[in-house]
Amino acid sequence: MSRSGEQKVVRTVCGIEDGVRCGILAHVRNGVLVKVEPADFPDPRFRHVCARALCSPKLVYHPDRLKYPVRRVGERGEGRWQRISWDEATDIIAGKLREIGEKHGYESIAFVVEKLAYLRLASALEATMVNPIGFGDAAAPCGDEISYGTHYGGLYTIGFQNPAMCVIWGRNPAETHPLWWRRIRDAKEGGAKVVVIDPRFTSTASKADEYVSIRPGTDVALALGMMNVISERGLDDKPFISRYTVGPFLVRRGDGLFLRESEIVPGGSNEYVVWDTKTNKPRLHNEEGVTPALEGVYDVGGINCRPSFQLLADLAKQYPLDKASEITEVLPGTIERLAIEYATLKPVASYRGMGLQRTFHGDLSYRAITALAAVTGNINLGGYSEGYRRFLFNSGTILFGDRFPRPMSLLQTYEAIPTGQPYPIKALWLAGQNFMNQNPDNNKILRELVPRLEFIAVTDMFMTASAQHADVVLPTCSFFEHLDLVTPIEVLSPYVQLQPKVIEPLYESKSDRDIVNEIGPKMGLGEDFQVSAEQYIDRILSSGHPSMEGITLEKLKQGPVEVAPYAVTGFRTPSGRIEFYSERMKQFDQELPVYIEPLESARQPRAEKYPLSYLSTHTKYGNHSLLANIAWLRELDPEPLLEMNPVDAEERGIKDGDMVVALSDRGKVKLKAKIHQGIRPGVVNINEGWWHHHFAEGTFQALTHATINPAQMTVFEPNSALYDNLVEVRKAGEE
Amino acid sequence: MTRRYGLVIDLERCIGCDTCTIACKLENGLEKGSWIRVETVGGPHRDTPEGKHPQLSMHFLPVLCMHCDQPPCVDVCPLEAIFKREDGIVLVDEEKCDGCQACLPACPYGALTYDEEENTVRKCTLCVHRLAEGLDPFCLTCCETEAIYFGDRNDPASTVARVTALRNAVALKPELGTKPAVYYCPTRDGRIE
Repeated sequence: MSRSGEQKVVRTVCGIEDGVRCGILAHVRNGVLVKVEPADFPDPRFRHVCARALCSPKLVYHPDRLKYPVRRVGERGEGRWQRISWDEATDIIAGKLREIGEKHGYESIAFVVEKLAYLRLASALEATMVNPIGFGDAAAPCGDEISYGTHYGGLYTIGFQNPAMCVIWGRNPAETHPLWWRRIRDAKEGGAKVVVIDPRFTSTASKADEYVSIRPGTDVALALGMMNVISERGLDDKPFISRYTVGPFLVRRGDGLFLRESEIVPGGSNEYVVWDTKTNKPRLHNEEGVTPALEGVYDVGGINCRPSFQLLADLAKQYPLDKASEITEVLPGTIERLAIEYATLKPVASYRGMGLQRTFHGDLSYRAITALAAVTGNINLGGYSEGYRRFLFNSGTILFGDRFPRPMSLLQTYEAIPTGQPYPIKALWLAGQNFMNQNPDNNKILRELVPRLEFIAVTDMFMTASAQHADVVLPTCSFFEHLDLVTPIEVLSPYVQLQPKVIEPLYESKSDRDIVNEIGPKMGLGEDFQVSAEQYIDRILSSGHPSMEGITLEKLKQGPVEVAPYAVTGFRTPSGRIEFYSERMKQFDQELPVYIEPLESARQPRAEKYPLSYLSTHTKYGNHSLLANIAWLRELDPEPLLEMNPVDAEERGIKDGDMVVALSDRGKVKLKAKIHQGIRPGVVNINEGWWHHHFAEGTFQALTHATINPAQMTVFEPNSALYDNLVEVRKAGEE
Repeated sequence: MTRRYGLVIDLERCIGCDTCTIACKLENGLEKGSWIRVETVGGPHRDTPEGKHPQLSMHFLPVLCMHCDQPPCVDVCPLEAIFKREDGIVLVDEEKCDGCQACLPACPYGALTYDEEENTVRKCTLCVHRLAEGLDPFCLTCCETEAIYFGDRNDPASTVARVTALRNAVALKPELGTKPAVYYCPTRDGRIE
């Protein structure tokens, strides 16, 4: 095809899915991808590339890439495969899905996929669609749904032009989201103070002006302790609270619901009631000239009421400095000083971390920091990010007709497979989702879930742990090998970009879109599955959503196009305000961001047997399990290590480099110890993403549990509490 | 005045992401190792701090060929296979080099590598092949935090000269008299090594 010596440079987008959308220039020589480098953007702040992206040629030409479809000939997981043609493979899959669908109902087929291409097939079949977000990222959207009425309220607390202080709660952007870090770095170089709150002294912490080591999962107590200091000193931003939050709304003492006009005036409206300090009377919150009380107790027609801000202040009062310090193990003076800085340095940007949400009550951590930001007026009102996100999820046009898949959360698969509730899942299709490697309670997955499944199909570039347990494995191509549309993502990219086909698909690999297009007709869904990638993109762009106005395929071929700002006024909560008090969470006694001791903390009874808090954090040397097989990165970070403080190591007679076993109720993992001061005593960590064979025994996810948080389930989806697990560590041979 | 190409690396900006390490591998086709390495100045391992939890400190130090004015490697090479160009760049003539590795211990920065397959010593060239096309060294092009500056140290208007003056950038091991062309902006605590 290509002439000898033909060279070209093609602009595309890095598809290593870590929530960033870096533009890259792909250098192709004789049809071979030889190099990538960062591409420019209209806004130079988005020009960026990382070590991972630079390894992408190594990913594309990796010797272990799956080259053709295979089917299992031995037992599941045995590793015996037979090469089959695409036609045979798609026949088997279509036949199996039809057989299972007819026997158990199509809801028994679950798609757990990172690729939206499958949404179309799942909707056509009205099958079950599992949102992979529950593997650890579902608590943040749950918390923000309650506080702001949007799943992604990140910009509300970080979208400031010139923050005076940046507080990073449980996040390591210098490693995991360097584009975020660059914003913080810019603020820092502009004079902002940077504070990192984390049980680990990370690369990000090393750049901060102040590092605050905290007991894992206690951020709510820290935020409440700070709110108490602020309240005691009268440093709350009362005008902001009155205007933008539910703070002035009166709450009934008995049922904890907001008082409505209809309850005090016959025939009254459903509007919220406040106590007007000028007239000393109850008034509607939106009446003109009202100066609502934020504090006090009021009798309204015999109903005992308090403004919800008073309830928040009452809650915070339960966390005086000594108690907040006792819970968080942060010094009282530090809590007090941070509180004063939060209230007086304006604006303060709160970077709420991905790690922060991975304790059992991670949604409450997100809510508490929102409350802290709200009572100090540190909310950026121009920060509505829904515009970007709505574009991202506007997949209406790629659904199949008017059919919808049945949504189910990831952790529910752990119940659905053995119990049939909510759906009797009998078949799994995994694509870009390494379920058997990355999700919690690995032994349960392999011993209790996998054997119960009648059929497992996996599409991947490599023989992952998930592919090893499949019945049919299809080779998918890399992001350089097919055309796709890349949508914006909050903070990290406001651009719609085209990901063109840079090189031809290697071996017999196909894009997920083409795979779906082949399966559809074989399942009797022929009429609307013969659609090219370009036609799909056109459908999305011409769907009429305001954020897509003026964006065409032709324009995208010229370069990235910034998504049209999508103006949304107010908050989409039931009250239209920031809700640090939420009526619907009353059923869980979580109407306020209450502090609840982590499910598995060193202060829980089970700590007698398993005293160490276990984390499985993310690094600069990989992206989940995707790059664990890239030799260039393994030169720098060759093997999994269990990080432990010297205090804990000495207590157990463990020396640096010793082989150790970490155990929990769920399972164990054997690997070498890395002893250093950067990790808090009482906390151990194994970086996530390693494949099973990298460990001497077990895997990092063998230690974790898949317990469902019912409050999160009600609001959004339950999150995997990956950083809320107790373990014990012993020298290997002494366990 | 003759040109004197060099780099300035801002250690306060460097986050130790190793993008330069991989960029060097990619640009120079190095399957094993890299001509730039990012050292952790801190604890016993990569990415670990010194001190006692939670009083800790750590920073990163990218080390590469310093393109010295008085390069000890040039002096010890028995075959005169290492030479300094007029513009200050120190290069290895891989045709001449017989892989004796006498230069490896002579370099106080550990910047030379031995390529077993090619039986030659290799090291950072400041991407001379890119400079010839008017491009920057590839580590700079890819640096995540814009922490690397390139230019002519002899030109007072160059970025490297200005950053050096503004940030009090210094060379590694100045006491050895090697006169490096790679300078470092200290961290906010005034630290280099």
